[in-house]
Amino acid sequence: MKIRSQTLVPYVFLFPAIVLLIIFNIIPAFATIKQSLYAASPIRGSGLVYVGFRNISRIFADPVFWKSVSVTLYFGLIVNPLQTILALGLALIANQRASGIGFFRSIYLIPVAVSVNVAVVVWGLMVDPNAGLINGILIRIGLPTQPFLTSPGQALMTIIMIISWIGVPYWSLFFIAALQGIPTSSLEAAVVDGANQWQLLTRIIIPLIRPIILFVLIADTIINFTLFVPIQLLTQGGPQLSTNLVMYETYRRGFIYGDLGSSSVMLGAMFVVILIIIGLQSLILRSNR
Amino acid sequence: MTTNVTSNQKNNLAIRVSTPKIVKTILRATNYIILIIIAFLIILPLLWAFSASFTPLEKTFEYAYPFSWKAFFPVNFTTEAYVNIFERGFGRAMLNTLGLGIATVIIGGFICTWAGFAFARFNFPGKKLLFSIVLITFTIPSDLTVIPRYIMIMNWGWINSWQALLVPLLANSLIIFMSSQFFREFPQEIIDSARVDGASWLQVYFLIVLPISKPLLISLGLLLFLGQWNSYFWPLLVAPDPAYRVVQLAVTQSVQEYQTIWNELLAGSMLAAIIPILLLLPFQRYFVNAVVGGVKE
Repeated sequence: MKIRSQTLVPYVFLFPAIVLLIIFNIIPAFATIKQSLYAASPIRGSGLVYVGFRNISRIFADPVFWKSVSVTLYFGLIVNPLQTILALGLALIANQRASGIGFFRSIYLIPVAVSVNVAVVVWGLMVDPNAGLINGILIRIGLPTQPFLTSPGQALMTIIMIISWIGVPYWSLFFIAALQGIPTSSLEAAVVDGANQWQLLTRIIIPLIRPIILFVLIADTIINFTLFVPIQLLTQGGPQLSTNLVMYETYRRGFIYGDLGSSSVMLGAMFVVILIIIGLQSLILRSNR
Repeated sequence: MTTNVTSNQKNNLAIRVSTPKIVKTILRATNYIILIIIAFLIILPLLWAFSASFTPLEKTFEYAYPFSWKAFFPVNFTTEAYVNIFERGFGRAMLNTLGLGIATVIIGGFICTWAGFAFARFNFPGKKLLFSIVLITFTIPSDLTVIPRYIMIMNWGWINSWQALLVPLLANSLIIFMSSQFFREFPQEIIDSARVDGASWLQVYFLIVLPISKPLLISLGLLLFLGQWNSYFWPLLVAPDPAYRVVQLAVTQSVQEYQTIWNELLAGSMLAAIIPILLLLPFQRYFVNAVVGGVKE
């Protein structure tokens, strides 16, 4: 039973949080959408003028935009399943019963504590074509050195590797929690029925944690969709726009070319895409229950 | 049918029982080798960066390319990189961020737990609407709304100020969620009897609820502190002035200004990374609960 309060008490408790959320999150969300319909006025000092959908058609006519869309699609189709599968694998390994497993689990958790830009700085030096540790190892074992971030063919894959160093351990936290929620009785029953490890995984474990797998896949998709810092620090969208993800493209337009209007249009569109993804997620999760 | 299953079971048990000891030992050893290899792969960048940060500049990459095991040990040990970055104000940046982090934890902690308390313990008109505000902000990645937020901060004249770094990070929808879930499981009788004894809601919150909310407070403290300590892009936009420099900016600013001083870049990275790692390891259970528990709903 909760107390039905006639007083202002709950509103007083809520006031600071709600006001801050509205000012710093809700209003900027609407402003992004509104901004996308305006452009800087050609008449000096008169601020913004309404341009309606002209911003949008201007962007749609720009091949750089379409290139960044295709790079983002390609990136998303690889990075999200990859991170989800690796995270599940890491969780299965970290969740076994073995003495000293807690120690290993702590080590696997360490990248989660490291900030994205520190990870990017360290990895950026490690994948340096002429001095980096990775090529240093490749030389030692007799393999050809790789160009990594300096090649249009490898840059995006290298970015994926770098962000997965944090992403995989992070998402594995969710899978470890899910695995610990599986009742041991259902696993034991399957073993008694003669299931091997693979059958145990595909027939018992994965169906049981399917909602979490979906959640991780979708949350990961949303986060990687707005990936920005590694691109800004490592490649600035290059070489030859091969890592020019849409989030970086909005930054380039807004902050480097000073075209906040077209930058906001793109942000508004990304917003709509994310809302669609979230809508699909709740539909799928509901039909799963 | 039944006999079939039983014989299957027997076979299976027989196989398991008859697995020779030596095979078991080998399986076990393989398992540990896999665990160690994964641990090594995960920790490798930090091992190298740590040892290279204690190496003179001209030898930073010496054992990395071509690779030698010495890359993981500071064989030419020197603290020159650390001394240099502290001379250039890295300590100041660490103190700035530490202060900001503590302020965020204390002020943000109150603001978020108050909201969580209200959602968990009261029924009031507009509750659904207000909760949906929290829900919406939880699902919108804050990077998407960064430009209007930046323009707002600019219009307020807050560029290069402490409040620009602090205020937008205080209300955190994940933590509001988490607190409201935590307070919902709180025994109602305790609160009721305190109210009957004439305690005000503020007294209930401070004297009864907070003292037994230690797990929640550790979780939210970790999340808020790490959020502030690891934030990079927002400070880059709103507080580029060296007086307000935060630790993550101090790391990468040396990329741009001192392109070639690699060992200092790595020393800064290590200092920026070590604090969250040391905080996370002893409290990992709380961190995991916070991250995983908050979004399970």
